Parts: sequence; C-alpha cells; structure tokens
Amino acid sequence: MFLKHLDLTTALRPSYLPDEALLFVQDNVGLYEGKFKLPNQQNGQVYLTSHRICYVDKEEPRKNSVALNLKEVDRYEFYAGFLKSSAKVTLVPKPLKRSTLHNRVVSSTGVTSRGSTPSPAQSDNAYAPPSGPPAITTATWVCTICSFSNPVPSNFDPVTANAHTPLPPCLACGIKPTLSQVLKAAITSASNRPTASSSSSQQASTSATTQSSDPYSASGTPAGDGQGKPDPTVSFHCPRCTFSNHPSLLSCEMCGAPLLSQDLPPSISNNSDYTRTQSPGPVKDSSSKASPGGNEYAESVKISFRGGGEKIFYERLKSAMTQRKWLLHDAPPAPKSNRMIEDSSVNGSSGAPAPKAKAAGIAGLEQLGLNMRKDNEILIGSAFEDLEALMASAKEVVALAERFAQQVNGASDDVTSKENSILAESAHQLGLITTKDIVGGGSSESLYLSELARNLAEFLTDDARGVLKRAGGILTLVDLWAMFNRARGGVELVSPMDFKKAAQMWESLKLPVRLRTFRSGVMVVQARDRTDEATVKSILAWLQDLHEFPPEREVAWDWRQFGRGVTAQEAAERFGWSLGVAEEELLMAEEQGALCREEGLEGLKFWKNYIGASDVEEMQKREAQREADALMQRLRDTGFI
Amino acid sequence: MATTAATPSPTPPTSTSTSTPTTTTGFAFPREYSFPPFFTRQPNIAIHHAQLTKWSALVLSYARHHRLFRLVVSSAAESELFHNRAINRRLGPADIREVLDFMRKDGRAEFIRASSAAAAGNVVLLYWRKPEEWAALVEAYVDETAQKGSVLTVYELTEGENTRGTEFHGMDNLVLMKALNILVKQGKAQIFGSEDSLGVKFF
Repeated sequence: MFLKHLDLTTALRPSYLPDEALLFVQDNVGLYEGKFKLPNQQNGQVYLTSHRICYVDKEEPRKNSVALNLKEVDRYEFYAGFLKSSAKVTLVPKPLKRSTLHNRVVSSTGVTSRGSTPSPAQSDNAYAPPSGPPAITTATWVCTICSFSNPVPSNFDPVTANAHTPLPPCLACGIKPTLSQVLKAAITSASNRPTASSSSSQQASTSATTQSSDPYSASGTPAGDGQGKPDPTVSFHCPRCTFSNHPSLLSCEMCGAPLLSQDLPPSISNNSDYTRTQSPGPVKDSSSKASPGGNEYAESVKISFRGGGEKIFYERLKSAMTQRKWLLHDAPPAPKSNRMIEDSSVNGSSGAPAPKAKAAGIAGLEQLGLNMRKDNEILIGSAFEDLEALMASAKEVVALAERFAQQVNGASDDVTSKENSILAESAHQLGLITTKDIVGGGSSESLYLSELARNLAEFLTDDARGVLKRAGGILTLVDLWAMFNRARGGVELVSPMDFKKAAQMWESLKLPVRLRTFRSGVMVVQARDRTDEATVKSILAWLQDLHEFPPEREVAWDWRQFGRGVTAQEAAERFGWSLGVAEEELLMAEEQGALCREEGLEGLKFWKNYIGASDVEEMQKREAQREADALMQRLRDTGFI
Repeated sequence: MATTAATPSPTPPTSTSTSTPTTTTGFAFPREYSFPPFFTRQPNIAIHHAQLTKWSALVLSYARHHRLFRLVVSSAAESELFHNRAINRRLGPADIREVLDFMRKDGRAEFIRASSAAAAGNVVLLYWRKPEEWAALVEAYVDETAQKGSVLTVYELTEGENTRGTEFHGMDNLVLMKALNILVKQGKAQIFGSEDSLGVKFF
C-alpha cells in the first residue's frame, strides 16, 4: 500500500522519524487515490517533510491520518486547477514489483553480470556502455577556467576535507580548484547521482551514473535485451562522453573518466559493488529510472489543495525529492565507512584504521585535545564556506553543536543545568520547528498559529523533556515562552504575540494542554486534566497534613485544630511550582473559599478556611436557638407557661 | 437570661490549647479568636462576610458578658476583645471600624453624634439588645411591678433599688433614652422634665 497509517504525537502532528525535517504545512487539503476521492481524507492538513508526505485528518486524526514515503514516489505532477477544480499534486508511486526485485538484487552478492549484459531497452538511453565505474571516482568537478571535467581524487573525503587538504590541479589547465567546488561535486555525486540533474556542471557525472545504474535494472529484468548494440568487447565506451576507447585503456581518452573493464572476475566486481552499497550514493533508488513496462503500478495519489499553498508545496516537494534526505539517514557518515571498507578490501584485513601518531600521558591527552579543537575548527570553517557544503556536513555540525552545548552544560552550575539540558536537546528539534515560511497559503496566519500551538503542545507533553512535569504540572506562559525560544536555539524565535495567540488556540484544537488565566491576569500552561478543583484538593490535603505534624517551632495557637499558615514559597517548594504560580494557585483557592489569609509580620500566609460561611449559618442557628430558649425561660419565669 | 450579677470568679488563665480560651473575666472566646487569619481582613467576599458576622457576634457577646454599652473606638484596639495577646494577633483599627460599621448596618451598633468633630464616630453604642428589646424589657418590668400610670425617674430605672436584678439596671442612659423614646412613640410612655431630672410616665 502506498499510503500508510500514520502515528501521531500527542498534539496530533505526525511523529517524525529521526533526522526528519518539516518543510511545509498546508491545511484544507483532500486526498484522491487514482481518480477517486478518499472519503475519509477530505479535510486535513498536509505535512511535507524531508522524508514523507503526511496527511492528518481534521475530523478523526487518529483514525484517518496517512503518510506516504517520498522514497516510494516515482514521479510527481502538478496540476494548477481549473475553474472549480482545485490545484493538485499527483504522486505516482514506484512500481512495487520492481523495487522489491531491485532490493533483492542489491542485497545479494551484487551484479555479477555488470558490463557483460548490455543495457536493456531504454528508449532514451539506447546506447549503454559496458563500464560501470566504481563509486568513488565517478565524482567530477568542472574546472572553472577551462571547463574540463576532472575526477575528484579518490582519497578526497568530504567530511574531513578542509582548506588544507591538498587538491590536485585541473588536468587540462593546471589551475587549482577551490575546496568548495570539489566538495560540491563530491556531495552532488553522492546524493544526486541517479537523477538526471539539470545542473549542467554535473551533467557529465550524472550521465555516467545514470548509465551505471542501468545494469542493475537490467539484471532485474534481463528480458529487455536485443537491441542492436555495438559489441562491447570491441571498444570501450566511455560512460561519460561515450567515446569509444581502446579496451586496454583505464581511463577515457577524451574526458579522462575512469573506465571499468567488463571482464573483471566476479569477486572484484562484487567488492566494488559492496563498496557502492555502503557509499552515500543512492544505490537503492536507482530503480527510480526503471521503465514502467510490464510492472505493476500502485494507484497514484493526488493531493488537492483547496486552500491554496500548492505552489510552495510543489516547490518544496521538488527540492525534497532532489535532496533525498532519507538516504542520508541510511548512511550518515558515509564517506568514512566507505573508506573503511575500501581499506579492508584493499588490505584484506578487517577494517584496519589509519595508523595514528600515538603519544602517551599528559602530552598525549593534550595532543588529542589539540587535534580535536583543530578538527572542530576546520569543520566549522568548512561548513560555513558554502551552503551546500554546510548541508553535507550538517550532521557533523549538529553533533558538534550538541557537544558544545553539553560542555556548556557541564561547566555551568547545577541550577541552570536543567534548562541547559533542554537547550542541548534542542538541536534534535531543530528540524521540527514550525516556522512562518514552512506554512503557506492564504490562511497562513491561522495555520501558522495552529501549527505553533501543536508544536508547543508537543514540546510540553514530550515525556523525554518533561517540561511540564518538572514545573509541577504548571508553568507560566512567560517561562514557557523563554524556554521554547531557547530550545529553538536562537533561530526562528517566536514573537510573544504569536505565542500567546497560539497558546489560546489549544482549547479549540483540543490539545492536551490548556491555557489558564489567573485573576491577576497571569497566564499559565497546564495539562488539560489539571483542574482548579484538583489543585484545591491537593492544597487542602496538604494543609490537613499540617494538622498532624507539629510545626517546626512553638506556635501560640492550637495547631492540632488549625494547622498552620503556609506561604507561597512553601507551596512552591511543596508542589514544585514557580513562586508566581504558587501565589496564584493559593489566591485561586482563596477565591474559591477553601483558604483564608493572614497578613502578619511574617508575610502573607494562607490557612485552611475556618472562618467559613457554613460555620456562620450554624452559629446563627445556635444564636436563634438560644434566643428562643431565653424567651421560653422568661415566659416560664413570668408564669405564662 | 443569665444573671447580670457580674461577679466574675477569677479563673486561672487557661492554656491556649483549649478550643475556647477564656480570660480572667470568665468570658469564653469563640474558637476563631485563636485562629490567626481571623485578625486579617479577608478579600474573599464570602469569607469576609462570615468574618464580619463572627466578629460582630464576638463583640456583642463580649459586650453582653461585660455589660458594655459603649465602645471607644480609639482605645478598643488595645482591649483584649480585638487584641489576642496569646497568639499576638490584633485587629487593625480600620478593620475594627469595618466591623462596627457592619454592626451598625445590622442595627447592632450606633455611632454617637458627638459635639466636636474630633470625637465624631469615636464612641459607639453596642446594641447587644436593640432599643426595641430594651423597651420591651422596661415595659415588662413596669407591667410586672404594677407601676403603670406612675411616674419613674430615669435615674430610678437604672440606678434605683427596685430595678436591681433587672437587666436594665445600670444601663447606659443614652440607650435607655432611646428605648424609652420608642415606648413614647408607641404611646406607652411619656417623658417629661428637664435635662438632669427626666421623668417617665408609663401608660
């Protein structure tokens, strides 16, 4: 099934996968499967993330929400809408059969027939070279001076590369490339390979990889053979420029692209193939180019945008499909592992790490620290050099930021450690925040607020953070605002006005938290199940306890009868509230008549209400009784009775 | 009704742990008297009303016990009525005034119109019996002693030998005059005489 059931968070938003980032939200959308409307999914919000498209139903979110993985999307089309027909985005899934078949092939020993099998019938690709270049060397950078396509050196590691990494000059003109240029090339080749990228600078590398991917599909369906092809043994076609090279050449005579011999023994090609699967390259999804012929298609899904926002959605979807973040998830620090395997394959030993200069004792530790600092410096330096480079090293930078946060945490006092730990966790949350530009469409303001409200509710009810729990189940809005903005790590801060508006939407969105306004105007955030009655009850139970336990010092009154007065401070300590909240809660209890106050030298104290109104009635009754008795007495005395 | 013979046997000061602390005069204070918040003005309307009611009852029963007819507001703050020394709590002057004002509205107290502005509102009459009740008592006494038709001086009523044992013996002149005036209005008595020697004739 293309559409899968979706897990929702407490705030009725999709629960994100690790590393998943929210890209866009639009409300008022409906779903179609094929040409037919899905009856239960006609009014909801669509969440575009880096990994998925999630539909959250408005009426019955728990039941009818669905999601589809972007990696299962083959194509997507845009329909601008006409007259009464809303704009739609159609998502065509990949053929199921093909993908499973493909997976099996990849997970098995690899493509033994690589090169020897001619490419199958691909109308746009009728001409298939027999060579599938190894993964690492397929990356090329285009010289800015002479526009010659140079191969990225095989030892070039985008993760560790920095300004000091020696880069070979252009093979044609001898001008050294900039680091970012090479880095970009390496990244693009790693993440973008299978798509026919429109970027002209990467044309060469993509064409190489497109064709290199074809043998995979060919191995899956070896039926499509039989087009007239030049005998691959006669000449060696360059995968990049299609120049027919002499078979004994290792690299293309024209463009310098490496050539892989077709006659490799299976073991070697297996090895290289294994390396590939571990590489950041999108091996698994090479079947996206597979031909549709003869394969089963799942029904396509249409998202109908009735409230606008389709253009932004389409744009973001396009970029998400290009970026293919879900691949990063599979192989995060790919180049490293890649090298490891390379090493192992070369050495024949199991993962021998590069020998390191070892120093013992304090000097060694210092050396280690120095190296680490240097590495960090390089990483940060290179990360900010270029936006795309930053994206490539995003994982490392995030990890580094987290580590810094931890260090800050360790250095500071315990008092703020809680907040700092929240701060540290925030890096994870970085991708999941609602920002103004994530949501779109005409109703953007209210949608943004409702998303923010959900975001907040999630933030509050997240068990891992326990924001509410730590604050005794109640938190002032101002505190929450500060905490939330801090958790956002200083970017995309929420304005107080928006924050308040979002908090006020909790009620209507039926979220598990609620906003409460005290008499004094202080606004607090509480779990929905915490009512005033429950609070009063707990306060009274506490005061009742004070009847049982003698106070710390001698008191003049009968504590067994009255207990003792409590200050807001004591209540704050007792219930884990903040001082302001404790005061407000006590005032609220007083308002309800459960408590009464005493203003003395020791400040404002609250007591269980013994002045109570019920008492008064009783007293008046007693008074009346006494008066009646007196009257009777008098009457008796005077001899009337 | 309890006898008015105010011969309080000096009771030893009881510990504060008893629910109704008594003083040397034998007056049993209510439970709230030793409840510290009782001496703070309560902002909650319902509680505040209960508080005033209880204070009013306390003041009246205290006055009844001690046969107090007048209360000097300025010095009352120091009296044991409003100052519980055992728990070191006192009712503030403003709060005392509020209590008295509440009693006034209830018909249980009345501020005396003093000649000078400075003394205005300083002295308050405490009606632990309302003037109507006093009037009824006096009327009952006159009726009982068969003095209808005869003339009694006001002094006779309060200080005379014959009224010893009645409730209005030794009562405040001003309150008595108010009671008698009620009787006059009802046509049951007539007041005559000059300022010092007022006489009253009952019909």
